[in-house]
Amino acid sequence: MAIQSIMIINKSGGLIYNHNFIEPRGQMNSNDYLIIAGTLHSVFAIATQLTPLAVQINNKAAQNAESDVPYIAGIGVNTESKGGPRELGSFMGPDYFQESFTNWNKSGLRHMVTDDFSMFVFQSLTGLKFVLVSTNNFRSNTSVSIAENLLRKVYCVYSDYVMKDPFYSLDMPIRSELFESKVKELIDNL
Amino acid sequence: MSTNTGTSNTSTSGAAPSLSSYKTIKQIGESVWKNRTVKINAELFTLTYGSIVSQLCQDYQRDFTKVNDRLFSMGYNIGIRLIEDFLARSALPRCDNFVTTSEVISKCAFKIFLNITPHVTNWSTSKNSFSLIFDENPLSDFVELPMDASKELWYSNILCGVLKGALEMVQLDCEVYFVSDVLRGNPQTELKVKLNKILKDEMPAGED
Repeated sequence: MAIQSIMIINKSGGLIYNHNFIEPRGQMNSNDYLIIAGTLHSVFAIATQLTPLAVQINNKAAQNAESDVPYIAGIGVNTESKGGPRELGSFMGPDYFQESFTNWNKSGLRHMVTDDFSMFVFQSLTGLKFVLVSTNNFRSNTSVSIAENLLRKVYCVYSDYVMKDPFYSLDMPIRSELFESKVKELIDNL
Repeated sequence: MSTNTGTSNTSTSGAAPSLSSYKTIKQIGESVWKNRTVKINAELFTLTYGSIVSQLCQDYQRDFTKVNDRLFSMGYNIGIRLIEDFLARSALPRCDNFVTTSEVISKCAFKIFLNITPHVTNWSTSKNSFSLIFDENPLSDFVELPMDASKELWYSNILCGVLKGALEMVQLDCEVYFVSDVLRGNPQTELKVKLNKILKDEMPAGED
């Protein structure tokens, strides 16, 4: 899929990272991006409040089964290459993880489709949001899984190259070339 | 690495079904440590920590209360960042009770980062405080406390800070402190974790 951009929103709704892999057609300045991030954060919170009654009554067991994201091989990392385990930062290859994982975002905004693009949101347990915008209008569940696999990898890269940067102050914009290049690597491998 | 349904499900009765459905917490911790984490020589780590503590003792003119505080706050700053690494690596669901939290800490977190599994004991009746007993402590290998420090210094106090910081980031406000340390002549190293309250207001939206 063609990735348009990746955004990271901190737990208070501020945009801390934005990178466009394809330049958008319209004119957008950095302020506009901040507003988009803030709006997304609010819409996410509103969505959690507007849960259909049927889902609220639904038992927890069914929800748990739904909230598992299957692992999809070869997303952003080339697992085919031979020559023993490779190192991906502090992670030992061939891949960052190789089993299905829990989705922490159970009732918030997860996926949005328009005629021109689709957007995926992955939220960590600490409240950090990773947003992926793709130029295709994906509607299938597989695309959500693919996006969430990719975003968890971005989270892994974030935990390595942003969290372990002694010059990074928490909740501030990310200005790290290493992080930038590792994310680009993930996207290029897609 | 297949889904190994819990044959040796040691998790206590209150453990979340979501957590133990695929693998036990112990299996998750071991597989992440074994297959997903890059290892270094533990002695390098031990000696680096040792040089930090000895430098701090020198800088604070052997005022060990200050050294304890400093180590704690250094740990806190590590913890609030390290939690992201832990979650990205393990992708564990939120713990729905403190018993599960204690197991995740001992069997996953300590396993992944320090390759040890401290015992969890001394539960309070209300299940909101527990002790971690360290049979081995990689921080304090090769260490002998000097006479003047043996009453005041908690050598591994950085661990308290790390736990406090990391738990705070998952909305658990805890008090963490050492009760005893073999370095001080006690029979065992014991670290107490006490839950003050769950910060419900700061819980990120989107979870149930």
